[in-house]
Amino acid sequence: MLAVDMTGDAVKAKNGSMVAYDGQMAFKKLSGGGEGIRGMVTRRLTGEQMTVMEVKGQGTCWFADRASEINLVQLQGDKLYVESSNLLATDAGLRTGTSFTGLRGATQGNGLFTTTVEGHGQAAITSDGPAVVLRVSPQYPLTVDPGAYIAHQGDVRQSFQSGVTFRTFMGEGGGEAFQIRFEGNGLVYVQPSERNTIAGDV
Amino acid sequence: MTFREINSKIVEATVVPGQRLYSQRGAMLAYRGEVSFTPNVQGGQGGVMSMIGRRLANEDTPLMTVEGSGTVLFGHGGHHVQVIRLTGDTLYVEADRLLAFEGTLQQGTMFLGSQGGVMGMVRGQISGQGLFTTTLKGQGAVAVMAHGGVFEVPITPQRPVHVDPQAYVAHHGDVRNKLSTALGWRDMVGRGSGEAFQLELSGSGAVFVQASEEKL
Amino acid sequence: MYGAPGGGPTVHDPMTLPVDDNVNNYTFCVELKGSQWFLQKGKMIAYYGSIDFNGVGHGRLDRLVRTSFHSPLHASDWVVAEGSGKMLLADRAFDVNSYDLDDGNLTIRSGNLLAFQPSLSLKQSIVPGFLTLIGTGKFVAASNGPVVFMEPPLRVDPQALVGWADCPSPCHHYDHGYLTGVMGGLRALTGLGGASGEEHQFEFVGAGTVLLQSTEILMAEQATGAVPHEPGVPGSGAGAGGHGGPGAQSGAPRLPGQLGDLQRRFGL
Repeated sequence: MLAVDMTGDAVKAKNGSMVAYDGQMAFKKLSGGGEGIRGMVTRRLTGEQMTVMEVKGQGTCWFADRASEINLVQLQGDKLYVESSNLLATDAGLRTGTSFTGLRGATQGNGLFTTTVEGHGQAAITSDGPAVVLRVSPQYPLTVDPGAYIAHQGDVRQSFQSGVTFRTFMGEGGGEAFQIRFEGNGLVYVQPSERNTIAGDV
Repeated sequence: MTFREINSKIVEATVVPGQRLYSQRGAMLAYRGEVSFTPNVQGGQGGVMSMIGRRLANEDTPLMTVEGSGTVLFGHGGHHVQVIRLTGDTLYVEADRLLAFEGTLQQGTMFLGSQGGVMGMVRGQISGQGLFTTTLKGQGAVAVMAHGGVFEVPITPQRPVHVDPQAYVAHHGDVRNKLSTALGWRDMVGRGSGEAFQLELSGSGAVFVQASEEKL
Repeated sequence: MYGAPGGGPTVHDPMTLPVDDNVNNYTFCVELKGSQWFLQKGKMIAYYGSIDFNGVGHGRLDRLVRTSFHSPLHASDWVVAEGSGKMLLADRAFDVNSYDLDDGNLTIRSGNLLAFQPSLSLKQSIVPGFLTLIGTGKFVAASNGPVVFMEPPLRVDPQALVGWADCPSPCHHYDHGYLTGVMGGLRALTGLGGASGEEHQFEFVGAGTVLLQSTEILMAEQATGAVPHEPGVPGSGAGAGGHGGPGAQSGAPRLPGQLGDLQRRFGL
């Protein structure tokens, strides 16, 4: 549950995520979620769906999404990459957009684009169970199951790794599982749960 | 204390002779001592008429009577459990959210339409609760279930509270409810923000809201 | 903005991650230093370092499996993690906890077991659907809601039972009081009033610890494999607990919460 105190300012939030408020609030549906028409068009093309509303007013507003855990991310000019379904709310001052993420999206069936959040302020991301924040540094690269990945920020390169062998003498469950490897400098958010993925079954 | 919250999902109830409890059928996790669980033909108190009312209203959650002496653990479906203590006032709650309550409480059903007119009826339909809701009145404790955590929002005459009907769990106190729309009709039709209907609670008391828009 | 649970997020790196302990209620961190762990497939969410995952039954692991893996579990459901680094385990946002056994034994519902050290040996319990861990070492188990530890004597709803340690296996307890007498007969005859859902429990007596989860929703059952067809082996005729075992209708173990024979006797 996320509580937002507002004094005339606005937040952008996922459609339908308001559970309660007191005081005076107005809700307005936003189209696309940033970057004007160009952003909308890319979104349409890429199938990266995110319907956003703007909440503005005086009072306290509570947000929640299917009992999932809410994690606050502080952005100071850097960029957050997050699966659009995991983005709950952002300060209205943050810019949201889409970014091409290559293969990873493909395995999750989320399309090839991911939502980006940029600027100065806070974003609230949801996870199935509280997210664990893991630091990636040059000496400590990180490998993540695609189903548990929810977001990352900072200067991080991601690559696909399929080095997981799954041979059994009974010939069962053969094949290989995919994992994402993160290198560089930044933070990766993982959730203690795994979405259904096509690959990545370790 | 009859109910003790062991963790966010389990309550422990102490059963002593002469003081019965009611609980949702099948919600017992474990018990110690000599305790009997009897299904309730009447579905609680209030006699046959009230039962028929509940049948009609779909507020016919099967209850069982818990008697004897010992301790019982209650929990259900992995739902979060919230214990609410009543001191003479009335709690309005959907019957299927009731995990257990003390026998000292007066159970009844209330036709929501009688409060809030047409909109009250709409409310029942929207949140899928039927037109009736269960009321519990008196001195005692109630354990209610919710999907996700529960939090309590106080309602004061100066600060009415608006709640998503799907996230509403229960309320108590001297509270009027009505269905409101935060948007104009134009916004609601076709391209609403998803919050088209809101339950407006005003007066003085408190409302319990769950961290989810999912019903049980 | 405020009010997010837990306040500011803690950032973990390989130095700050705990060693064989919980990161939070739902995530467990295992440290590997050239050592091995058994884990259920699909429960690793992230790792640092170089760790190999191999299916149980992978030729090279044959000896290890022979010494610590005595249950004919579906080999493809389990993997062996091997290498050095730290890995995080989690299961569908269920609560996870680790348990230390010191020359002890613990029986656990098969679907709740996530991972264990090879110093423990895993065996099939005589109770269908349960596994017994014997020896000294650590294992990790998931539960729907936090686990509550209780001491016998105790009667437990079958679905809330996670496992038990050191005490004798449970027996069935039927609430005859409810089914007999005038009211009981009437209920059985007319079906009026229905069942309270609590006519059948597992009863634990003796010294030990009983583990309960806070819900009656079961974790997805893991196949424990069929037991040999032998006279004297409980459940052997029914492929007990196994997925789609032969003869699943006739001799199948009763579903928890059902009345069993009493139900049939009263024609419910």
